[in-house]
Amino acid sequence: MGDVLSEPSTAPVQLAQVSYRYPSARGFALRDISLTVRRGEFLGIIGPTGAGKTTLCLALNGIVPQFYGGKFYGRITVAGLDTLSVPVNTLARYVGTVFEDPETQLVTTSVENEVAFALENLSVPRAEMRSRISWALQVVRLAGYEKRHPYDLSAGQKQRLAIAAALAVRPALLVLDEPTSQLDPMGVREVFAVVRRLNRELGMTLVMVSHAAEAMAEYADRVAVLDAGRLVALGTPRQVYAQVGMLQGLALRPPQVTRTFHLIGQWREVRTPLPVRMAEARPRLPHLAAQLPPSCPPPPPPAEHQSPPQLSVRHLSHTFGDGTQALRDVSLEIRAGEYVLIAGQNGGGKTTLVKHFLNLLQPTAGQVLLDGVETRTLPISTLARRIGYVAQNPDQQIFSTTVQDEVAFALRNLGVPPDERRARVRGSLTAMRLWERRDAHPLALPRGDRTRVVIAAVLAMRPDIIVFDEPTTGQDFRGARAILEITHQLHRQGKTVIVITHHLYLMAAYAERMIVLRDGQLLLDAPLRAALREEQTLAQAYLAPPQAVQLARALGQLGARPMPWITPEEVAACFAPDGGRV
Amino acid sequence: MKPLALQTVARDSYFTRLDFRTKLLLAFVVSWVAFLWESTLLVGGLAGAMLLLCLLAGVRWAYVRSTLSLLLPFFGIVLLTHGFFNVTQVERLTGQHALTPWFTFPADWWGVGGAMLSREGVSYGLSVVFRTLTLLLVLPLLVFTTDVDDMIVGLGRLGIPYKFAFIFSATLRFVPLLFEEAQTIIEAQRLRGLAVEHMRTLRRWRVYARVAVPLILGSLVKSQQLEIVLQAKAFSGSSQRTYLHETHLRRDDKVLLCLAALMGLAALVAYYGWGIGSFGHP
Repeated sequence: MGDVLSEPSTAPVQLAQVSYRYPSARGFALRDISLTVRRGEFLGIIGPTGAGKTTLCLALNGIVPQFYGGKFYGRITVAGLDTLSVPVNTLARYVGTVFEDPETQLVTTSVENEVAFALENLSVPRAEMRSRISWALQVVRLAGYEKRHPYDLSAGQKQRLAIAAALAVRPALLVLDEPTSQLDPMGVREVFAVVRRLNRELGMTLVMVSHAAEAMAEYADRVAVLDAGRLVALGTPRQVYAQVGMLQGLALRPPQVTRTFHLIGQWREVRTPLPVRMAEARPRLPHLAAQLPPSCPPPPPPAEHQSPPQLSVRHLSHTFGDGTQALRDVSLEIRAGEYVLIAGQNGGGKTTLVKHFLNLLQPTAGQVLLDGVETRTLPISTLARRIGYVAQNPDQQIFSTTVQDEVAFALRNLGVPPDERRARVRGSLTAMRLWERRDAHPLALPRGDRTRVVIAAVLAMRPDIIVFDEPTTGQDFRGARAILEITHQLHRQGKTVIVITHHLYLMAAYAERMIVLRDGQLLLDAPLRAALREEQTLAQAYLAPPQAVQLARALGQLGARPMPWITPEEVAACFAPDGGRV
Repeated sequence: MKPLALQTVARDSYFTRLDFRTKLLLAFVVSWVAFLWESTLLVGGLAGAMLLLCLLAGVRWAYVRSTLSLLLPFFGIVLLTHGFFNVTQVERLTGQHALTPWFTFPADWWGVGGAMLSREGVSYGLSVVFRTLTLLLVLPLLVFTTDVDDMIVGLGRLGIPYKFAFIFSATLRFVPLLFEEAQTIIEAQRLRGLAVEHMRTLRRWRVYARVAVPLILGSLVKSQQLEIVLQAKAFSGSSQRTYLHETHLRRDDKVLLCLAALMGLAALVAYYGWGIGSFGHP
């Protein structure tokens, strides 16, 4: 290891009473943070949106405050270097950084050039560069991809490439800022596997921000909790995640296994500390299974929708111009009032499928029908009146200068009279709790609010069907839940709701039916409760059932009876004194 | 799908294997000759040769076609302008005292009555069109057949400061992304009931103009993100850096460099010595 990574004489990272305020900001983004990261440690950082996590990451490589300016107090040393006085491009020799978006951090046109870029900037000799590129690509399991274009890689591979590029510099510290938030479960697994290897096998010091509570509990040595710029908790994952009340107070999410045991603990004897990993929970399950009441009431039956199909997909195939087969012979029907979850790995064909609903793409073979009419025969603007589409990135759907103009945009296009237009704008904005911000520029709002502006604009058109494409990506737990609550309200109003996501743990409480696509093919189409228990089928699409489903199944096996529960609340309710009324 | 359709040709060819410096000199010589020559036939031949080379190099016909259709109105204006109005220059170039009429408006037509479209004027206009085409076709031949990273190395070897070479390459890299972003925004507007397909041209262009605001704001955000990423990758813009790839002028490069220099010289001597390439001559 000594010949692989630069070895600082002191602890890799020391923060002493660090406070920071961005230029023209009123409040501090970081407040009086003191922290030491030990050599070879994996420090996880969690916190709600706006807690200062990204700012802390940027402070570790000197970009805050050297690039942004603002007021900086205290001192940060990385590998013994003061981040305030040592130039960022010199610090880059000691701090590798991996950012959230895999696309924006790749700046060259081949995998090897990408890894070489920082080395070239640091004037590393060519022979040394070649050896480091080879080593870094092997570590992240991208050896053999040297000549590939970064854009030809999957999202997980891109993020691994970004890690390789940071790693090749042989930094004393690797900082990863939400590197898995845009990845599918396969990508998340790939990135965490690499990170674990760097940490456990190579002893690299890591600081990683992530909302993936289950993975963080599995891999991190310590977890730091930030809130409003302050360090509010620091400890091992077991110490931090076991404080369920504190986390809930910050709108953070503990691992599902922890939450489940915490809820059961309201009624039954549960030993502390609470388990934070599945492996810790399994030995405790026999004790719990012994406390199960003789019977738990059955789960609610799957929702039944008898209306004729609203959307029909018949033998749909789509091949892109470059020859990529995105969809292969997909057939399904969606009825009015359904709440459908579409899941699958990145590039599995989810977005391609829904773009056919809106005639944004036309079938290479097969048909898509909306109430019996082929969508390819209808103009997009006509289809848009029936099907609302909320894209993953709200910023690509915002083009007006005020919030109310944004919502009124569609209504003008649809020829809605001025009085009704005003009423609909007010109604939509009020429903999204944005009426007070109606005169603000949409892009000046926080990301969660920007998503709500787009939803308001779609709602104002009063479509029957609303498609949400990865609505929870990049959102913290509170933001994700807020958006899903909106989908729930719309569903209760009778709308057909289609959500594309791979955050299965979030969807268990909302969706009725789950469709899984893998490599453009329909792999699974079943009621959600049944689908989440198809562990082997889900694994083929690189999906895994939430921990609550795994716990319920394990308890069921121990108690020799079916336990079809899919959320921590449902599992815990079975232990409730009233006999487990869900 | 990778959003880089404008940047690279898919096929490995003689052109993709040439050093960027060789292609740069070739492009310079061809452009210079295109400016030197006025002969419709020769400049037309040069444009045709560039078109052929582009297709051989793997530049997609769809790209060439869309470029031509975009410029068609401009070419029409050039032909009419030179055909009707460029009399003095064309007379001087041909040594004629009167140009050959092709078409004359009746004298009693208001405004245009008596205006004459001359054969020589149209021919000169054609040479201007071919010259423009040559310049337009040299560009993809140079840019699309070279990897952006190789351009940086090549420009560095020519003594261009790294910072400028990087800005050039970054522009090439991100222009297609901007187009993609603009398409996404227009798509989002159509999803809000904007029936672009039913609009008249002027209104459609107004819609496109509206895209500018989110596009510029998005670009500002992206450029700031890029700057942060570059800083984190030890980028300083300094030319004091190493390169992973070496560039060597191979035998083919050296032969072509000599040929290009000779071609330029020959064109110069032939033009001023025998008038070859001048208007009215072959």
